[in-house]
Amino acid sequence: MERSIENIWKEGFLKSDALVAPTINNLYTKKSIHIIDKFKRMFKINLIAIVAFSFIFLIASFFVGIPITGILFFMTLTVLVIINKSLLKGLEKIDKGLSSYQYLKSFNQWIEKQVAINKSFASFMYPIIFLSMVIGFWFKDAEGIPLGKRLISEVIKGFPDIYLIYGIPLIAIIAVVLIASLLAIFGGKIYQWDLNLVYGRVFKKLKELMADIEELKN
Amino acid sequence: MSNDFYKTSIIPYSGIIIKLCRAYTNSQEDFEDYFQEVCLQIWRSKENFREESEWSTWVYRISLNVCLTLLKKKKKNRQHFVSDSITTEETEDNYAFSDESLNLLYDAIRKLSEIDRAIIMLYLEEKSYQEIADIMGTNSNNIGVRVKRIKTKLKKILDGKIN
Repeated sequence: MERSIENIWKEGFLKSDALVAPTINNLYTKKSIHIIDKFKRMFKINLIAIVAFSFIFLIASFFVGIPITGILFFMTLTVLVIINKSLLKGLEKIDKGLSSYQYLKSFNQWIEKQVAINKSFASFMYPIIFLSMVIGFWFKDAEGIPLGKRLISEVIKGFPDIYLIYGIPLIAIIAVVLIASLLAIFGGKIYQWDLNLVYGRVFKKLKELMADIEELKN
Repeated sequence: MSNDFYKTSIIPYSGIIIKLCRAYTNSQEDFEDYFQEVCLQIWRSKENFREESEWSTWVYRISLNVCLTLLKKKKKNRQHFVSDSITTEETEDNYAFSDESLNLLYDAIRKLSEIDRAIIMLYLEEKSYQEIADIMGTNSNNIGVRVKRIKTKLKKILDGKIN
């Protein structure tokens, strides 16, 4: 006799093997590996993007007439990439065979180290980038004269009493030093903001997962 | 997730979770992933349960949403990474129950659209049309018509397989 789908359903689930719930011991293992793999992918893409951008900027800087900016920019970003590439090697060394909690903890430690190193580097990097812009535009050719000198001669015409140090208005030196100092002071914070912008969601998931596992352990 | 919560609020309802997850997956590995994600989401959203419905309905709703979300994600990933391989829907499942008829029924259910799968599962779980309508966000008349249509479709698929 032909069975109805209702009967197939009911009778099928009467057998003992049909509704065995899987153990949830592995609940976090795959999630942990997935989150960290996602971070690794994003991190690698980010490094590639930095390398590509620094190359493009270097080439463009020659066309725009600010090669000093391009070269300094390129050198700074190269150092940044080298540092992070070596940090990435440390991340690759984390053993996936560890328990999810240990794996996440190791990853978290790596993140903390990575953030601390990059924060310190950011305190130098942002002022250097700013100064490279200033220097680049200063020496940019403006009808046979460097743009900086041309600008100063215009300023002196307008303000003949302006105080100069080595031919540069004191006010301009103060402004540049002030901005560079602010960038050095807040470089770490700017980096943190940038980091959260790119990896914020991954970090949030990581925190939630660690909290879950901690709760499960307790 | 605390073990207590798992034992008292998930295990008694694991049947419906298992049945639903099976309908949206084609392998044991995927099934376990879906099941675990559903458990996690039930636990995470337990604070939002207002007791306006049965806990089982709540569990069903979350399970369904999680399965549909994971399925969507999976499809999206497949579009990104796989262009020339067979889709999961086309692949025969590599895990099975000991009841052959149930396996055939599940194969047939997996051939339905995502929404039809949800409706027929709720119907087979003996939810009333009104309850199904509440869960699916439609009206019971619609559900009645749809269930009939789905049953006919399932019968055709099953007949094709059996013959």
